[in-house]
Amino acid sequence: MPWIGFAAHMKIKLSSIFVDNQDKALGFYTDVLGFKKSKEIPMGEFKWLTVISPEGHPDVELVFEPNANPAAKTYQEAIFKQGIPITAFEVDDIDAEARRLKKKGVQFTMNPTDAGPVKIAIFADTCGNLIQIYQPPQKKS
Amino acid sequence: MIHAELLRRLCRARDLLRDWEEAPLSVNEVARRTGFSRFHFIRLFKAVFGETPHQYQSKAQIEQAQHLLVLSDSSVTDVCMAVGFSSLGSFSALFSRRVGMSPSSFQQRYRLLAGNPRKLPPCLIPGCFSLMGHVSPKLAISEKRRSDALDRLRGTYENQTKQHLRR
Repeated sequence: MPWIGFAAHMKIKLSSIFVDNQDKALGFYTDVLGFKKSKEIPMGEFKWLTVISPEGHPDVELVFEPNANPAAKTYQEAIFKQGIPITAFEVDDIDAEARRLKKKGVQFTMNPTDAGPVKIAIFADTCGNLIQIYQPPQKKS
Repeated sequence: MIHAELLRRLCRARDLLRDWEEAPLSVNEVARRTGFSRFHFIRLFKAVFGETPHQYQSKAQIEQAQHLLVLSDSSVTDVCMAVGFSSLGSFSALFSRRVGMSPSSFQQRYRLLAGNPRKLPPCLIPGCFSLMGHVSPKLAISEKRRSDALDRLRGTYENQTKQHLRR
C-alpha cells in the first residue's frame, strides 16, 4: 500500500504530569505559576483536572494525574532524586520569571543558566516534580 | 538554591519519614539523621514538597494502611499497628477524615473489588487518561479556542457532572 500523501491525523492536545495531590497542584500551578484552570471534573476519589497557559496555545492542556499508583510514585520519586525535570515550560525572560517565582518562595535546584542555545532553570513544583523553564534562543537578551 | 547534595538529603529525609523499621521516626530524628536543624528542615521540606514533614508522614501512613487493608488479610487493628499507630481511635479518626470512610468500611468495599489474587482495584490507582474515560473525550478536551466558548462548555460539563452524580 502506497504511503504517498499520508498526513498525520493525531493532534497533540494533552500533556500530563503526576502530582501527589490534585488540589495542591491546582493551587501551585494557578496561584504561583500563573496557569489558568481549564477543567475540574470530579471522578470519585480523583478529578479530571487540567490547566492551560494564558500565554500559550489555548488547545494544549496540562493534565494533573494523581500519583496514587505505587508505580507512578516510584517513577516520580526516582526522577526527582536524580534532579531531572519532568517537563519544561517556555518563558520570554527567564531571569525575571525566576526572580518572580523566588519571591513567592519557589525553590530552585538550578538558577538561570546558559545551556547551549537556550537558557534554563529548574525548580520544585511542591507536588513531587522538578520543572524546567527555558528561554528560547531568539528571545535571549 | 538547592544544590544536588541538599536535594539528595531532602529525598533521604522523605524516605526516612515513610520507610521506618521499628517505629515511625520523629521529625526531629529525621532532621538529625539528615543533618538539618529542625526549623530549617521543616521550612525547606514544605517549600520543596508542599507539605510539612509531619503531614507527609501521616499521609504516607494512611496510604500504606489503605493498601494493606485491601491487599492483606490483616484486621483493621493489625493494619493500624503495622503502619505505626499505637491507638486504634486516633488511627480510625485520621483515616476517616482523610479517606472519607472508616477503615473497616474501606476494607469491606475495596476488598470486594480486589479480585483473586488481590490487587489494588483501578478506581484506587487510576491512570489519568483512564479518568478521561468517565466523561466523553469531547467534554474532556477543549475543542473551542475562544474563552467565552470555553466557559459555555464548562457550564455544560458542570451540569452534566452534577446530573451524573445525582443519578
